[in-house]
Amino acid sequence: MDFGSSALSTRRSVLAGLIGATGWLGSGFASPARAAGEFAGKTVVFAGWGGAYQDAEKTAYCDPFAKETGARVLQDGPMNAAKFRAMIESGAPNWDVADITIDFLYAGTGDNLFEKIDRSIIDTSRIDPKFVHEYGVGCIVWSYNLGYSTKAYAGKETPKTWADVFDLAKFPGKRGLGDNPVATMEVALLADGVPIEKLYPLDVDRALKKLSTIKSQTIFWATNSQSQQLFVDGEINLGLILNGRAYDAAKKGAPIAISWEQNIQSVDYLVVPKGSRNREPAMKLIDYMTMPANQAKMANLLAYAPTNPKAFADVDPQVSSWLSTEPGNVKKGFVINAEYWRDNLKKNTEQWTAWKLS
Amino acid sequence: MKSSGLSVWRSLRGAICLLVALYLIAPLTIVVIISFSGAPFLQFPPPSFSLRWYDNLFTDAAWGDALQVSLSILLPSACGATILGTAAAYAIVRGRVPGADFLYAVLMMPIIVPSIITAAALFGLYRLFDLNGTLTGLIIAHVVLTTPYVVATVAAALRTLDPRLEAAAATLGARPVASFRHVTLPLLAPAILSGFLFAAVACFDELIVSMFVSTARTRPISVQMWSNIRGDVDPTIAAIASLSFAFALLALLGSLFFTRRPEVDRSA
Amino acid sequence: MTAGPGFGRLDRRVWLLAPALVVLTLAFLWPVGWLLSRAFTQPQPGLGNFVQLVRNPGYLQVLGNTFLISAIVTPICVIIGFPVAHAMTHSGPRIRRTLIFVVLIPFWTSLLVRSFATVILLGRNGPVNGLLEAVGLTSEPVPLLYNLFGVLAGAVQVLLPFVIFPLHAVMLRIDPTLLPAAMTLGARPIRAFVSVYLPLTLPGLITGATLVFISMLGYYVTPALLGGPRQTMVAQVIQDQIAQFGNWGIAGALSLTLIAATGVLLFAVHATVGFRASVR
Repeated sequence: MDFGSSALSTRRSVLAGLIGATGWLGSGFASPARAAGEFAGKTVVFAGWGGAYQDAEKTAYCDPFAKETGARVLQDGPMNAAKFRAMIESGAPNWDVADITIDFLYAGTGDNLFEKIDRSIIDTSRIDPKFVHEYGVGCIVWSYNLGYSTKAYAGKETPKTWADVFDLAKFPGKRGLGDNPVATMEVALLADGVPIEKLYPLDVDRALKKLSTIKSQTIFWATNSQSQQLFVDGEINLGLILNGRAYDAAKKGAPIAISWEQNIQSVDYLVVPKGSRNREPAMKLIDYMTMPANQAKMANLLAYAPTNPKAFADVDPQVSSWLSTEPGNVKKGFVINAEYWRDNLKKNTEQWTAWKLS
Repeated sequence: MKSSGLSVWRSLRGAICLLVALYLIAPLTIVVIISFSGAPFLQFPPPSFSLRWYDNLFTDAAWGDALQVSLSILLPSACGATILGTAAAYAIVRGRVPGADFLYAVLMMPIIVPSIITAAALFGLYRLFDLNGTLTGLIIAHVVLTTPYVVATVAAALRTLDPRLEAAAATLGARPVASFRHVTLPLLAPAILSGFLFAAVACFDELIVSMFVSTARTRPISVQMWSNIRGDVDPTIAAIASLSFAFALLALLGSLFFTRRPEVDRSA
Repeated sequence: MTAGPGFGRLDRRVWLLAPALVVLTLAFLWPVGWLLSRAFTQPQPGLGNFVQLVRNPGYLQVLGNTFLISAIVTPICVIIGFPVAHAMTHSGPRIRRTLIFVVLIPFWTSLLVRSFATVILLGRNGPVNGLLEAVGLTSEPVPLLYNLFGVLAGAVQVLLPFVIFPLHAVMLRIDPTLLPAAMTLGARPIRAFVSVYLPLTLPGLITGATLVFISMLGYYVTPALLGGPRQTMVAQVIQDQIAQFGNWGIAGALSLTLIAATGVLLFAVHATVGFRASVR
C-alpha cells in the first residue's frame, strides 16, 4: 500500500542518501545467520495505524524484511482493538504482526491474546530493556506534549508547563485535550501542582475537578489527526498533542511548536497474536524492526523515537530535538505508568464518561 | 384571502428550500475545492492548487482496488435489498400476517442494533464459512444492513395505496402477478426507487461492519478512506469524495435524460 | 380489511416475507443473538451486567443522552424536510428536478468526508463565521462546533433525505383535488391543510421520522468529530467496552437495553398512530 504523497517521496530520496552515506551501521551483528529467501512464498500481514505512520513502517521495517527473506508483507489496518480481539478470540487471526499501544499490550497480555516473544528469533538485546516485554517488543517511543500555536503567541510568552494550559487568563483561547482519561488526568494533576513522584495512583476526583475549570474552553479530540487539524484550523491555541503529530504538522507548515516540560512518554509495541499461522516469519519481521538502521529510518521520517539506543547514530540531527528519547527531552518528562492504567482504566473511564456528560 | 395565504406558504416554502439547498451543497463545494488544494492539510481556502491528490488516487493501487470492490458489491447489494425488502413490505402490509407489527420491528433490527455488534457477530459467523475478505461476504452483510431502509420506504408508500385497486384488477380477471406488475408496481415505483437509493448509499457509506469482514486485499472504499483518515487527514479523501459526487451527478443527469415523461401538473 | 386472495385463511402473499426473513435469520438474528447472549453469560452467568449498568451513573446517562439527541434531531429533520418534500411534489418540473438533484447528490458523497467539510465550514475561522462577521451579525467567532449545534448541523444534513424521500413518495399519491375540494366546502386553508393533507402524509412522516431517529441512535462518527463531551453517545461507549476491555458482557447489555428501549418506542408510536392505518 503505497500512499505516495510527493512530500514523503522527496524525504525518502534524501533519506536514502543519508542512510547510504552512513552505511548500515550496526546492522546484522549478533543476529543468527539468515539464509536469503528463507521465508520465500510466505505471506505476513502487518497491521498498523494507517496513513503516514504505516507508510513509514512499511518502508523502514517491512520492505527490508521482504527483500531479504523473500516473504511477502501485506499491509492491513487500520488498527482496531475490537476487531483484533474478535479475530484472536475466534482462533485464527489473519493479522500476523500488529502495532499496538501500551495499554492494549497490558490488557491483551492479561487476556492471553498474544504469542510470547521468541528470543531465539528476535534479538531483544538490541532494545533498551525497559521497552522489552514478555509479549511485545517496543518499536517507537512517543510522548504527550504541550503543543501551542506559534501564530497566537508570536512575540509573547509561550506556554511551557501543563499549568499554563489551565491558566485561562495568561493564555486565553480554546485548548485541546484528548477524549481519553489516559494522560489527560496526569496533565490535570501536574497542573494542579502534584509532583511527578507523587502522581500515581492518580487522584481521579482531584483531576476531574481541575479539568472542570477549563471544560467549557476545551475541545476534546477523538483522533490524533483531529488534534493536528485543530491547530491548523486555528481552533485551539494550545493543548495536548503527540510529539510525532506536532512534528508532522510543523513539517507541513502548520504554525505549531511543542514544549518538552513534563512530557509524558509512552511506547508502541509490536505483537504477534495468539494463533497466528505465520508465527516464525512474524517474529522475524519484529526482529527487523529492532535493527538500528531501520529504527533510524522511522525516526527520521516521523520523529518517533527509536527503542534501540544505537539507532541515534543514524538520526538526522534536525529531527532529534523532536524525539522523545533524546536525553534532554527524556529528563524533562516521565514514562506513563502502564501498570496503573491496566488496573484502573475501566474505573477511570466510567468516571470520565460521567464527568463528560455532567 | 385564500390566495394570499397560499402565496405566503409558497414564499416560506421557497425560502426553506433555498436555505436547505445551500446547506446541503455548501459542504460539497468545500470538498471539491479542497480536493484541488496544494496544502497537505484540509484547509479552506486552499493556499495553492494541485492535482496531486487525484494523482495519489490513480497511482496508489490500494485506492483502485478499494474502488473496484465497492463497485462490485454496490449493485448486487442494493438490488438484493430492494427485492427482499419490497417483497417483505408487500407481505406485511397487504398479506394478513399475524404479528405484523412484531415482524416489522424484526425487519428493522439491522439498523437498530449497534453496528459494532453486527460487525463482530458477522465476523464470527463468516469465520465458520470462510467468508471474511470475500465479495460474497460483503454483499450478504450489506443486503442484511440495507434491507430495512427498503422495507420502511416501500411499506410507507404501500399504506397509501388503495388495496381496492388491486382487488378491482383481480375482479377483472388479472392474476395476482399481473395485477402487481401492472397496477401496484407503477404506483410503487417512486418508493421502490427511493428504497433502492437508500440501500445503495448506505452500502457505499457503511464502515464498521465492512471493516470487520474485510481484509487487506478485499476492502471497500469506506474502509480505505477510514484508514487514510486515521493516519493523516490529507485531501486525498476530498478527491475520492469529489469523484463519487461527479459520478452521482453524471448518473443523475443521465437518468433524467433517459426518462423524459410528461409531467403531471401538481402545482399547489 | 383487504379482500385479497386467500381470504379467510393465511394469505399466500405471506410467502413473500420468507426470503427476507430467511436471510435475516441466518445472517443476522442468529449471529447477533448469540453475541448479545454474552450479556447474560460474561463474565459470569446472570444479570450482573445489567446491575452494573444501573449502578454506574455513566452508562444510563449516556443512553439517556443518546435518546435525547436523537429526539432533538428528528423533529428538526421533519420540520425542515416537510416543505422540501412538498415543494418536490408540487412544483414545476424544473424546480422538482433541481430539488431532487440538491438532495440526492450530496447523499452520494461519503458521510465521513462531509463531516470533515462541516468541520471546516463551521470552524472559528471558517466561512460561516466569516460571513456572519462580514455581514455584521457578530463581532467575534461563534462556537458552532464541538457542541450540540455541531452535531445537529452534521447529522441533519445527512439524515434529511430519509425524511424527504418517503414523504415525497407518499405525497405523490395524494389526490391533488382533495385540498381545493376541502376549501370549496368552506375550510380555511390552514384548517384544510391540517385536517386533510397532513393526516394523509402520516405514513411517510412516521417512516421518515423513524428512520432518522433509529439511524441517529447508532451514530458515533458524527458526534465524535463535531460534538463536545456532552454529546457522547452510546455507540462510542459500546465500541470502547469491546475494544479496550473485551467486555462483551457490558457491550451486550448496553446494546440490549438500547434495542429494547427503541423497540418499545417504535411500538408505542405505531400503536398510537395505527401501524397499518391505510388511507381508507
